[in-house]
Amino acid sequence: MFEKRFSRRGEILVENIIFIILNLIFLTILMVFLFSKMGSVAVLEEMYAKQIALTLDSAEPGMEIHFNMENAFDKKEKEWDVLQMVNIQENVVTVKLQEKGGYAYSFFNNIEVGMYPDKDENNEYNGFYVITIN
Amino acid sequence: MKNKKGTDKIISMYWFVILFLVAAAIVYMAAIFYGEPYDVREIEAHILANQIANCVAEGGYLKENILFDEEFKNNFLEQCDLNFNVEDVYGWKELEQYYLKIEFYTFDPNMQDNLGDLKFDFFEGNINLKDDCDRMGRNFPICVERSFYTLGKDNQKYAVKILSIVRKTEKNVR
Repeated sequence: MFEKRFSRRGEILVENIIFIILNLIFLTILMVFLFSKMGSVAVLEEMYAKQIALTLDSAEPGMEIHFNMENAFDKKEKEWDVLQMVNIQENVVTVKLQEKGGYAYSFFNNIEVGMYPDKDENNEYNGFYVITIN
Repeated sequence: MKNKKGTDKIISMYWFVILFLVAAAIVYMAAIFYGEPYDVREIEAHILANQIANCVAEGGYLKENILFDEEFKNNFLEQCDLNFNVEDVYGWKELEQYYLKIEFYTFDPNMQDNLGDLKFDFFEGNINLKDDCDRMGRNFPICVERSFYTLGKDNQKYAVKILSIVRKTEKNVR
């Protein structure tokens, strides 16, 4: 009698644990999906391309802008060259953080733009891009 | 006791059905929210209007050789360092994505908006965009109208009205 009651209790406990584990797995998958959407490379490419284009729209000759792109440095494809992350041709900014993809947005300010990734005193990229307006 | 166990299983099945529905709703909302492009057209139109204001006036005075100057009018984009070329997508190269109109009025405090006689005006870009300014909805171009007061060379007061329009709908609205 005692053994029977004991085993049933054990069964209930196992069921509950499985139930809780399944719920936790479910919630984890949901959170991972949300966070992946929030920081997806495609969203970052669009955001940075538009931010840089708007910055250049209101820029004036002689300016030097230090543009924070730490998120882009973190999220870019590992093999992707930092120098190819931002490209400006004529008056179109293209941000590309992976082999496939990239986002382009135009700006109307007729200026000559130079840009390069900034480095710290240890000669390592510090997550900033320097934009010079001529 | 057996019945209670059966009920528990049914309840847990419903629990997962509810969880699935909640997850589907969250996934749908996230996809809608993060799938929507950032709409920067209004900021762009404001910056464009600012650039024009900086181009035609400085320190509260109209720049020289602007009023009634046909050369300035004809080379307005070049004079103000503007370039309306856009990326070659969605047929944008054929259809200009910007429109600008600048009007110079005499300053008249007795008139509505202090706008007296129209002295000089010019425009640049796709004039068809202007027709969509009265229409409501995100799929239409964004129109920004701004005005400021300034002095001419002869200390005559002027009201300058700027209308700047940005289309670029495909890249800013889904």
